[in-house]
Parts: sequence; C-alpha cells; structure tokens
Amino acid sequence: MSSSQKRLCIPGQRLCQTDDDHTPGSGTYSRGSFIYASLAGYVHIRADKDRGSVLEVRGEVERSTVPFVGAIVTAKVTHVNPRYCKCAIFCVEDSVLQESFRGQIRREDVRATEKDRVEMYRCFRPGDLILARVLSLGDMHSYLLTTAENELGVVIAQSEAGVTMIPVSWTEMQCPKTFAKEHRKVARIAPPSDSAVN
Amino acid sequence: MPVDRMRICGPEETRHPLVLELCGRPVRLFQDDGTRLDGRSADQIRPMFMKCGVISHAQGSAYIEMDRTKAICAVYGPREFGKREDFSIKGRLTCEFKFATFSCKIRRQQQQDAEEKEFSQILLQSLSPAVCLHKFPKAQVDIYVMVLENDGSALSAALTCGSLALADAGIEMYDMVVACSVKHYCKSTLMDPSASEESELEPEGTSTEEKPAETGLLTVAYMPSLNQLPGMLQTGEMSIATTKQVNSKRAVDCCVLRVLLKRNLLQFIAVSS
Repeated sequence: MSSSQKRLCIPGQRLCQTDDDHTPGSGTYSRGSFIYASLAGYVHIRADKDRGSVLEVRGEVERSTVPFVGAIVTAKVTHVNPRYCKCAIFCVEDSVLQESFRGQIRREDVRATEKDRVEMYRCFRPGDLILARVLSLGDMHSYLLTTAENELGVVIAQSEAGVTMIPVSWTEMQCPKTFAKEHRKVARIAPPSDSAVN
Repeated sequence: MPVDRMRICGPEETRHPLVLELCGRPVRLFQDDGTRLDGRSADQIRPMFMKCGVISHAQGSAYIEMDRTKAICAVYGPREFGKREDFSIKGRLTCEFKFATFSCKIRRQQQQDAEEKEFSQILLQSLSPAVCLHKFPKAQVDIYVMVLENDGSALSAALTCGSLALADAGIEMYDMVVACSVKHYCKSTLMDPSASEESELEPEGTSTEEKPAETGLLTVAYMPSLNQLPGMLQTGEMSIATTKQVNSKRAVDCCVLRVLLKRNLLQFIAVSS
C-alpha cells in the first residue's frame, strides 16, 4: 500500500526533516538534517517497513538513466571477436536511451558453465539483439556486460537468409525459411502470463 | 618586405569607422525624474518570460526573455563521453555559449571568440556545483546556450536559462542556479543593466570633473537553497567595499528570480502531466 501526495517541487526545495520516520529516496538527497528534492516533479511518499516513509520525487516523463551495475540492458551486437564481442546498449531496464552506450562481453562472461570452451562466433553474431546484465562500469571505452544466466543472451537474431529465427534449444536457433540451424547463446524468455490463451 | 620610401603611405591597419563612433558617444544614465532610460528605478529588474521544453530533440530545453535579451538553451545527455581519454567515476558537464551572429550591435563571428569562450567557462564553473555528477558515471551532459538578442545581462540570462533547461531534462541537481547582473557607476548601482547601460559611458557634464573612479559590471550566479555563489564575473574597476555592497543588492534580486523560475517550472510540470 503506498500513499502519494500530489505536491510539486523543484530541485533544491526543502521537503522535510530527516528523522527516523522519513528517509530520502530517488530524486531526493539529504543535507544537514533536512531532505531536499533534486528533481523537478511530484513528491511521492512511499511507506516502507524497514525505513519508515521514503520520500521520492518523480518527474512526469520517464527520464533516461545511465547503465548501472546489476541492470538488465538490451543491446545490439556490433562486433564479434574470438576474445570478446562489442555491442551498443539501447535500453536500460524499462527506459529507452536517447543515445546508445558501448558495451563489451568478454569470452568468460558469456556462459556460466564451461567458460573456457566458449566460441564467440557460435554465441553471437553482429546484428543480434541481446539481453545482458551490467557487470561493471568497465574502462573508458565500454561497459562490461555478462550473459552468464539462463534468462540472458540472444533474444532476436536474423539468419543468413535475412529472416528472424526461432529458438529451438539453448544453443541453437532455426530459420523458418531455409530450416538451417545456427548456433547462438539463446535467452530463456518467459512467455507472458496474461496471453490470450484462456 | 622592403619599405617604400619614395611615397607617403597610409597606415597599414584600418578600422571600421562605426567602432570609433560607438565608443565615443556619451549616454545619459538617468532621465530628469531620476528613472533610467527605460523608465525603471535603479533597483528594478526587467520583466521576464521563461518557457521550458521548447526544443523537441533535446533532453531538456529552456527559453528566457529579459525584456529584449533573449537566450535559448538545449541540454543533451547523459550520454557517452565525447573524448574517451580518461575514465572518471563522476559524470562530466560541457558548456557551450554562443552569441548568434545577429544578436549584438556589431555582427559576431560564426566561430566562438575569446569572450564567448570565457562565458562558456563561467557557465561550466557555475553550473557544475549544482549538478549531482556522481549520478551519471562515465557519462556527460552537454549544455548549449545561444543568445538570440543581446540587450544587456546576456550571461545572467544564459546561466538562469541553463539551470532551467537542466531541471527540464530531469538531471538531478542539488539546487537551481539563478544569476543577476549589476552595473556600478560612480555612486549609483543599476540592477539588470541593458546594453546601453552596460557599455562604458560618461554621464553628461563631467568633462570638467575627474574621471569616475569606480565603474564596473558584476555578474553573479547564486544557488538560493544552498546559499552559495558558484560563479562570479566582474569587469571594470571596483574596490572591495563597493563589490560587497553591490553583491548584497543582487541577493534580493536572485531570490525574486528564483521565485519566478520555480513558478514557471511548476506550471510546466503541471501542464505536461
């Protein structure tokens, strides 16, 4: 249960005192003994059992975020190399970025098992859309990503004939036109629970 | 190159006659009833108009009008570092200030000249402390300000516009930045000077008296909630005491500005949600 108060605020506006009941959340910061807003938007007070009331400020439009450690990102593979593959990050969790960031997946971060027997060309190809998790900020060139989970990996890929392939196993995808199978590190995407089956 | 000694040559450098004419003309600061040339009192700032979200492609944008001074600002980001030289755990801010070529009395160059580069530095220096740089590591936010018409106090318009655009972009900030310009001339202090008041001038009837000792223009950026001055630019000659006195006057104006800014921003949020 969360209660929200429709109160507008601008950055730097003092919201309330920091005490046991109130904690600063996203869009706010605490300085001295007060909580101030750091975004322009509506103030939401969320009741949290551990931290009392958490104050958050949310703008009216979902603003783009920067990839952070542990976030699930959607990326498109640009280069494939025997040691690593480079990709362009388009989405961070649910928000679509206006401009892409660069990401890199190393050979040892592709799978959780048999890390030394990974062949990059049998996992990713340029143009594949993948789901990955941010491991770390990486170096100045790119973020470090990993697909070493069942739910991460290639989501959409095109076959050599140019048709979107259908996954047939965790390591293979099949082209519906030529029936040729290609190797990929396939992501286990759960089907939507509220599909029009029932 | 050999010098021609047989003819009497003119000077090698020539200057546009318009420049000489503008510099030498004295302008009166005050009218007979004690008000300024545009009817304001010495402490009055010009009427303002502000609007957010004017540039659709930018992450955030703002437009400000202070009577005839107009400035527009676009904020892009957070996006990847342009120059991937150093890795930094904090984000980076880049500012670019430009006068439009048609904005001033004398046509400006298309490239940034020394004054615009200095203003860009001041913008960066004043807006950086307000932004929560640690919230976007390895990313940069680009701020582009263009002054469309310069009728005085262009830098303060740019600073206020920049901070409004940052708030519109949803970049987390510790506080808003408001800026104000003050012109000190002899004993009088003029708030928010227009272009004719900003330029060096001699009041009528002082040809026999001494040249006025203290003339200067002070532009101050202020963060009202944190009560800090992130940036200050002073040109001219002013003693420390005068600077302090002038500074305290602008504090009042900055608070007024902040109220205006707040009202405008809140209106914009309420309308767009």
